[in-house]
Amino acid sequence: MQPGLQAYLTVAGFLFAIGFAGVLLRKNTLVIFMCLELMLTASTLALVAISRFYNSMDGALFVFFIITVAAAEVAVGLAIIVALYRRRHTVQVDELNYLKH
Amino acid sequence: MSTMLTAILLLPLGSAVLIALFLRRRGGLAAALSTTVGFIIMALSLNVLLTWNGQDVHVSQEWLRFGAYAFSMGFYFNHQTALMLLVVSFVASWIQLFSVGYMHDDEAKGRFFGGLSIFMFSILGIVLADNLVMLFVFWELVGFSSYMLIAHYYKTDFANMASKKAFIVNRVGDFGFLLGIVWCWSHYGTVSLIDLHTKLVGHPELLGTHHAIGISLLLMCGFVGKSAQFPLQVWLTDAMAGPTPVSALIHAATMVAAGIYFLARVFFLLSPFTLHWIMWSGAAMTAFAGLCALGQTDIKKTLAYSTLSHLGYMACAVGLGYPELAMFHLAMHACFKATLFLGSGSVIYACHHEQDIYKMGGLLKKMPLTGITFLLASLANCAIPLFSGGYSKDSIITAAFLKGHAEGSVYFGVYVLVLFGALCTALYTGRLFSVVFLGKARSEEASHAHESSPFMTIPLVVLGLLSLGGGWAVYGWTWGGHFTGLLPSSCVVVFAEAFNNLHEAVEKSGAANILEAVNIAIAVAGLVVAYLFYGRAQTDALAAKSPGAFHVLERHGWFDDIYDWYVAQVQQRVADIVGAVDLLLFKFTFGWGSGGLAGLTGSVLRRFQTGSIHSYVYWFLAGVILFWALSVG
Repeated sequence: MQPGLQAYLTVAGFLFAIGFAGVLLRKNTLVIFMCLELMLTASTLALVAISRFYNSMDGALFVFFIITVAAAEVAVGLAIIVALYRRRHTVQVDELNYLKH
Repeated sequence: MSTMLTAILLLPLGSAVLIALFLRRRGGLAAALSTTVGFIIMALSLNVLLTWNGQDVHVSQEWLRFGAYAFSMGFYFNHQTALMLLVVSFVASWIQLFSVGYMHDDEAKGRFFGGLSIFMFSILGIVLADNLVMLFVFWELVGFSSYMLIAHYYKTDFANMASKKAFIVNRVGDFGFLLGIVWCWSHYGTVSLIDLHTKLVGHPELLGTHHAIGISLLLMCGFVGKSAQFPLQVWLTDAMAGPTPVSALIHAATMVAAGIYFLARVFFLLSPFTLHWIMWSGAAMTAFAGLCALGQTDIKKTLAYSTLSHLGYMACAVGLGYPELAMFHLAMHACFKATLFLGSGSVIYACHHEQDIYKMGGLLKKMPLTGITFLLASLANCAIPLFSGGYSKDSIITAAFLKGHAEGSVYFGVYVLVLFGALCTALYTGRLFSVVFLGKARSEEASHAHESSPFMTIPLVVLGLLSLGGGWAVYGWTWGGHFTGLLPSSCVVVFAEAFNNLHEAVEKSGAANILEAVNIAIAVAGLVVAYLFYGRAQTDALAAKSPGAFHVLERHGWFDDIYDWYVAQVQQRVADIVGAVDLLLFKFTFGWGSGGLAGLTGSVLRRFQTGSIHSYVYWFLAGVILFWALSVG
């Protein structure tokens, strides 16, 4: 049998929850970054599923934008993390607290 | 005509700008440029006078508009302007030529000659101005250029303090002047001299109102400051800290005379009450300053008091109702006082910048040209007949007598004061000449003095001859044809009529011969007494015989000390109180209050800056939930 819309949305919801929990709980910047990407992927999956379900291209169009933006974001974000590591020799967010009051 | 006047006004400005921009390090070029421009202006002024048809010229151009009031710039050229233009440009040119010699080895010649040019621009603006606002603008410019030139030797404390004093004391007067202009505008609705003239002339009843009295008293404040009359006379003697040509140009011949010129120009605005004040204070100043001159051992300070005394004569003439005679004396005084100052400059230069007259002596033989021109100007200063001062000063004394003769005995007080002033004039002039030029040299420098360069002697000779002959312009001489004198007739007409009327009136009163005899007797007696009393002594005879009296004269009646006390004790207290209020109101309430509020807010808000990314995410989440709740309702 074919999985319905609900199954796709459930998976997307789980993916988003995992990503969000990771952003909130993990200490490694790289992992937080990956979790962010996971949240983006979850929304992409939901959009594609809804687009298919309603036979409309609107959601798919959004997906293209999200992928483009995510690619750019990854390029910049990874560069920042690399630069950060070179300078501070750590990517643990606990130790990145120079802007504390 | 108006093109020519514009050129006269703007040429010195151009010269000053060129010097300020390009010639500050090239003193020689700056001197040449400034002096050349001076002589061009003199030629242009003479040309204007000789081609003038005697009609008043008025051109005006709107410059700024504030609502209903348009501020215009323009020229109002009448007989007074003609005379003043000639006096200023003529005397200034020769003084500039003198400066070329006097300032020969000065380091900052560029600044000096640039200052002279900007001064010329300012004073010509006063001379030509057609309305009070424009006049005030140039009035302030004159104050600035005077400040700049007094502070020429800015490395000495005395010059710095003198320049500040001159500027601040003038500001006191100018503040009244400014208020007067504002009041004049609000009461009469115009500040144009011509409109005011048409509005007021022929309506003496308009001058009796308290508005008119207030306006004229406030306008008089400007004159009191600029012409150094009581109670603002203290700056003029200190202004002698500037180079001697500056003293000659600004503080004797032209700038201080601008106050008199201004009074003559707005004479129709002055109410009888103000005229009385001017008359009495002027008459008192002739006697007071004349006495103080006897207490000075500095050659330039003696001459500065002499200037104060002569400004008193001019003020007295205005107060007596003869502004024309004041203008006449202004012109004559410019010639002989410029000569005296330039002569003193020549002496100071020859004695290696020694200004104490008791370190000079016997200079007549060593510096014959300076000595003889100084003698000519001294005799003019004492109003000896046939000399320039003899015509103008005697006329003022005569006018004072006539006032007493016509209006009662109180006014004889004015006559007595100015006559006493004349006696003092003769005394201090005789003292100065006999101590500096006669007798034996009292110091090493004086015994080695020699005549100055032609740059300095030529102006001396020119102005010295005018001190002798300047007054001949009044009488039409018949001497192998009609000879109207040295000044063009278009200049002379402004005072010739008043002069002749006065002399007719004196003839009628029957006292002419007695008055003339008294004047001559006083002048001669003063000179002789001064020579006998001071001529032989090594130090000041008055200081030796009566140190107390000399001290009073030296401190010129403690005016400076009174003002110092006032500033230190009264004004400083007021300033302290205002300062305390300022501290309470602004620093504590507004400063600390608003600062404290911002600090408190900040100290709370900065707690949110934890430095932990996770807490920011929670805040972000909270924000999203808040907005979601709001949008859902």
